[in-house]
This record gives sequence, C-alpha cells and structure tokens, in this order.
Amino acid sequence: MTGDIVLAAKLIGAGLAMIGVIGGGIGIGVVVGGAVQAMGRNPDYAGPIQTTMFIGIAFSEAVAIYALVIALIILFVPLG
Amino acid sequence: MEQTKTRRPIKRWIVLLVIILNVFAVRAFPPVRPHIQLPPETLFPIFGDFYLTNTLVATAIADILLLLMAFFFSRSIKAGKMVLTGVSGVLELLLEALYNLTESTAGKWAKTIFPWFATIVLVVLIANWMEVIPGVDSIGLLHHSEEGSPVQELAPGIMAVVKGDPEHESGEEGGYVVVPFVRVASTDLNFTAAIALVSVVMTQVIGIRALGLGYFTKFFNVKGLFTKPVFGVLDFAVGFLELISEFSKILSFSFRLFGNVFAGSVLLFVIGSLVPVFAQSAILVFEFLVGMIQAIVFGLLTMIFMSVATQGHGDEHGAEH
Repeated sequence: MTGDIVLAAKLIGAGLAMIGVIGGGIGIGVVVGGAVQAMGRNPDYAGPIQTTMFIGIAFSEAVAIYALVIALIILFVPLG
Repeated sequence: MEQTKTRRPIKRWIVLLVIILNVFAVRAFPPVRPHIQLPPETLFPIFGDFYLTNTLVATAIADILLLLMAFFFSRSIKAGKMVLTGVSGVLELLLEALYNLTESTAGKWAKTIFPWFATIVLVVLIANWMEVIPGVDSIGLLHHSEEGSPVQELAPGIMAVVKGDPEHESGEEGGYVVVPFVRVASTDLNFTAAIALVSVVMTQVIGIRALGLGYFTKFFNVKGLFTKPVFGVLDFAVGFLELISEFSKILSFSFRLFGNVFAGSVLLFVIGSLVPVFAQSAILVFEFLVGMIQAIVFGLLTMIFMSVATQGHGDEHGAEH
C-alpha cells in the first residue's frame, strides 16, 4: 500500500511540474502575435522577422522545456 | 505527364493493405506497455566502468553516415560535375542556404563561424531523424526485469515481447523488457550537453580571436567603476549577469534538444501502445518536423551567439567604427 502512495505523489508532482508550461505558451503566443502583426504591416521584411521570431520562440520554449524535463525526470527516474 | 495519368494509382492500395495487415498484426500481438527509462540503457561493458550504451551506437551510426556523405560530396566535386545530383545536390542546397544566412548575420567572420554552424546542424539533424526509422528503439536484447512482460518465441533465437500480466505467470516472477540496440542519440543528456559545451566554449574562443583580451571586458566591466560612481557599478553588475547567462546557455542548449526529442519519443511509445493502428504515422511526421526545427534552432542560436561575440559593444566605441 505504501508504494501506491509514493506512485500517486510522483504522478501528482509530475502534473504540478507541468504547470510551468503555461508561461512558455503565453510567451510563444505573444512572440508569434507580434511577428504576424509586423509581417502584416511590412511584408517586405517577412524573412528577417521570421528568423527573429523563431529565435524568440526557441528562447521562450526553452523555459517550458525545463518544466517538461523536470516532469519527465520525476516520472521515469526510479527513486533511490 | 501522360503516363502518370494513365497509370493505375497503386500506391494508395499498398498503404491500405499495410493498414489492414497492421490491424491483423495488432490482433495477433497486442501492444505492451512501453518501458521508459531516462538514462540510456547499457548494452555491455567495454572496460571497467565504461559501458557501451545504445545512444553511443546511434552517435557512431550518425558519424558514419556523415563521413559517407562527406566522402560522396567531395568525390562528386572532384569528378567536376557542374550540377550535383542526388544526396550531394541536397547537401549543396542546404549548405548554401546556411552559408548565406551566416554571411548576412556575421559578415566577415562568416568563414570562421560557418563550419561550427553547419556541423552542429548536420550532426543534430541526422541524430534526430534516426527516430523515424522503424526498428530503432524496438529491436534489441531482452533483459530480465521485475515489471516486464512475458516473451514468446517467434523463430529460433527471435523473441517478441507479448502482452500479459507478469504477476500471473506461473514459471518465474517478472518478465522481460527490450533493451534496444539503437536509441536516438538526442535522448541522452550526455550527447546534447557535449554539443552545448562545444558550442559555448567555441563562442568564447571566437570572441577572443575577434576582440583580443578586450573580450573579457564584456564580463568584468571595470572601466567606469571608478570614474562614474553609479553607472559604473551598474555596468559591472550587468557584466556579471552576462557571465551567468553564458553558463545558463549550456543548460538551455542541452535541455532544449534533450527535452524535445525525449518527449517526442515518449509520445511515440505511448501513442503506439494506445492506438496501435496507423495513428503513429501522423506523430512520425510531426517528429520529423520537430527534429528538423530543433537542429536548425541549435545551429542558428550557436551562429548568432558567435556573431554577437565577434562584435564589441557598439555604443561605447561608436566613434572608432
């Protein structure tokens, strides 16, 4: 029975760790929204804007990936 | 053009046939619960504590593929062909696009930065795309484990892990899990951290080569510390933050690639065991795209950090330029 409680705590912990992904999602939304507006106003500069957009996405995604890695470590690394 | 119109559309029937065969195969061998492990599995020890892991095998395969590509590329250039065909043609297209990108960002340092950029993109690209090859992650040795599944002998020497509850097996407790011969290299934190270290260290080397010892004033900005009391201290603190961000780059580089690819392979396992018919194909296409984007992002960020390192602080020395 004790093992089950540890397993439950593990699953809840992994779920809580994934809350951090909210920030990454908001960040990517803001970045892409801004880039699309800029491209709509200035279609000639779509290329450079797109490059910068992908770099911005990669940066804000990295923060979300930290949360994901923590959740994966909680789930798949055996205790002790 | 005429021929393609009159030809019977045979490929779609092949796809349909494979899906139907897939249904029967799933009826015969129901999928087992995937066994997921974060550190790479060890195959056998080479000497002492140094084990041959299955991600090391994947890295070696990726290296051999790269060397073969380089060999064919140089051979077809030496043959004097004006238009390269096949793999060399695709490689030329990719390298040309990457070089133009480097030149537009880094200017005169493009020739120094480009080799690192292109090498990182190619290595990570090939390492990531191994994920979509069938047999990777699923063919390997059997290991006895407490939470494994029972096995069934298909042919002499060839076994398949089949569905079943290990606790109800009569013969022995526990079952077997597959330790694959090849596991995608990017799902090993060692691989991604190694490339991240190479990238960040070489950024410093290229920065020092471009700016001399003045490069370190970016981190230890003592110039205004005694002349300008308030802003000098602020500049010093900002330089300290730059130093910290240099170390956090290693962390973010390695975790970004590792997290994306490992999460992708976990997704493939889980979808494969939940919906064993056809659904995995869509995820494979998605993983193909993710692998490409992550390879390009890794290389692109390296290139951008390197080209930033070659430029001094523009605002302070504006008159000199």
